[in-house]
Amino acid sequence: MGYLIPEVLLAGGALLALLAVAMLPNAKNLGSWIVLLAMLAAGVDAASMWGVTAKLIMSDTMAIDKYSILVTEFVLLAGASSLLLAWNADRFGAELPPLMAISVLGMMTLGTAANLMVVFVGIELLSLPLYILAASTRTRAGGEAALKYLLLGAFSSGILLFGMALLYGATSSLTFVVYPAITAANTWLLWSGLGLVLVGIAFKLAIVPFHMWVPDVYEGSPTPVTHLMAFGTKVGAAIILLRLLAFGFYGQDGSWGTLIGYLAVLTMIVGNLLAVPQLNLKRLLGYSGIGHAGFLLVGIATHSVDGANAMMFYLLPYGLAAMAVFGVLRLIEGQGDEVTLSDLRGMAYRRPWLAAVLIVGMLSFAGIPLTGGFVGKFFLLQAALFASQPGLAVGIVVGTLVGLFAYLRPLQMLFQRTEVSAKVQHLRWSVAGAVVLGVAVVGTIGIGVYPAPLVHIVSQSANFYWLTGG
Amino acid sequence: MVGIFIIGIIMLAAAVAVIVVRQPVHSALALVGVTLGLAMIYLILQAEFLAVAQVIVYAGAIMVLFLFVVTLLTAGKEETETKDLLSGQRWASVITGLVVGVGLAVVIATHHPTKLATSLSSSFGGLHPIGQELWGPYFLLLAGVALMLLTGAIGVLVLNRTEGTKAPRSRPLPHGVSVSDGEGESRP
Repeated sequence: MGYLIPEVLLAGGALLALLAVAMLPNAKNLGSWIVLLAMLAAGVDAASMWGVTAKLIMSDTMAIDKYSILVTEFVLLAGASSLLLAWNADRFGAELPPLMAISVLGMMTLGTAANLMVVFVGIELLSLPLYILAASTRTRAGGEAALKYLLLGAFSSGILLFGMALLYGATSSLTFVVYPAITAANTWLLWSGLGLVLVGIAFKLAIVPFHMWVPDVYEGSPTPVTHLMAFGTKVGAAIILLRLLAFGFYGQDGSWGTLIGYLAVLTMIVGNLLAVPQLNLKRLLGYSGIGHAGFLLVGIATHSVDGANAMMFYLLPYGLAAMAVFGVLRLIEGQGDEVTLSDLRGMAYRRPWLAAVLIVGMLSFAGIPLTGGFVGKFFLLQAALFASQPGLAVGIVVGTLVGLFAYLRPLQMLFQRTEVSAKVQHLRWSVAGAVVLGVAVVGTIGIGVYPAPLVHIVSQSANFYWLTGG
Repeated sequence: MVGIFIIGIIMLAAAVAVIVVRQPVHSALALVGVTLGLAMIYLILQAEFLAVAQVIVYAGAIMVLFLFVVTLLTAGKEETETKDLLSGQRWASVITGLVVGVGLAVVIATHHPTKLATSLSSSFGGLHPIGQELWGPYFLLLAGVALMLLTGAIGVLVLNRTEGTKAPRSRPLPHGVSVSDGEGESRP
């Protein structure tokens, strides 16, 4: 039971924060402090378990290994940074910290899942608070975003459940880590089930045929919530996809590897292409997030240890860059919910430090050397080539090139010699925002210059040695 | 076996009716047909507890809730069909849905019963075994579902907050214009 202390800490923090904001409504940031401390404690406790040998717990429904611990750290980083971006902002409501904690708890659950039922509970725990948070500022766009997310999320959950039922029928087990041992299960029923489950997860990860909801939901949601969706949800969905395919279906990669490969290329190119004409920065980041989901899929499609490592590695630079960009947006928007490209005009002269942070984040998204994004894309490219899948490599290159256009347009705005917009003029720094930006910039450049420690950690965690190359 | 087919056809018809009928009340009533059909399938499988719970929870509590909402929201309002923004979208969805649905049905129907690895345990669906599963191996998931329900309750509170309590409905933007989220306003 001691293996689940991080989850228990976070759940306890959420409940305590709920009680605290109900009892002491005037204590500023009390709920945020409680949840933040719970997240820190959970992170420390998870890190202290690093030496654990992989094992199944809770009658084989959950797996504790270095993979699950690293996922826990990633999603806690996502949760804590989202919380800091919402610091001191009463307009998001006092319920934001506990809801964020519950959502992060769902992501952590996904990291440990070894059973389809746990996958479903994790996905729902992750999504339900986000549906509410999307509408928490009670704007018209927020309501639209929440309703779209709720309806489409409900459909995808239905599809996911149907797929799980078929998988259960085909294998008589919900514990997917034992699937490879069931040799007689290679039937159409199994593949239909797997297909439906993949659709359900692809919806959460925003893979291209199922990406329609992303821009509207990102645009309408409050910025800290958008950040949690962009970083945390993506981590949760990507790692459960990798775990499900690498543990449950590793022998039959011929059937799903090609499919995932095509989806990856499609997602990389379409996502980045649609990001180019966007004027609203949150929409731009939404489409960019779709493109990055495509890059993550490359790691899964290569079906090799290199690919798994590369995908796991890519999550952190992507998340740090998202922290930088969303942090800047949060500072610029102030009391509003919207930042357009023209709001960035002339910022490099008026607010050089903030502009510098935005540049670092955007360059990391684009994959320019000396940023973490470059190293991540490099490893993905390497994995694709080692697995002798040149199509994936070409897809990465084309996607990156198209993405470069999308990310350089906002940067070009920064250097226009015009009057700065009112939002930038009245911008006020906050300590919490500065912490997020500092961590993001140091992390992004640190991984870009000296990636060895992270490479070492990732190679220990996503060490699915039974995967074959190609 | 024949019974399941008959119930299945009734359920399918009711499910189609949920979507196609005009009046929301009629939709809700058709949904009652679906849930009752499901309860009967549970009975055929000798899962009496599940059948009873299905009737009490869905046909009872949730349907009553639906009917209340429908009556409160649509009283005295004329329903007009909104125009399709994408032409042909309706037919495309019907055709895709039929292809996927028939495909899945064929896959499931042609799956030979002997290959179906799962067999029902004799105690399937009873109160005692369900409790043992829930409070035994799946206890943590039960706790997770409890958190989900709590989230739902918070959601009701957050989204129904009335004016003047916490977050104001409209707030001034930096330019000094105020945007209210009133009805019929298009968003920029």
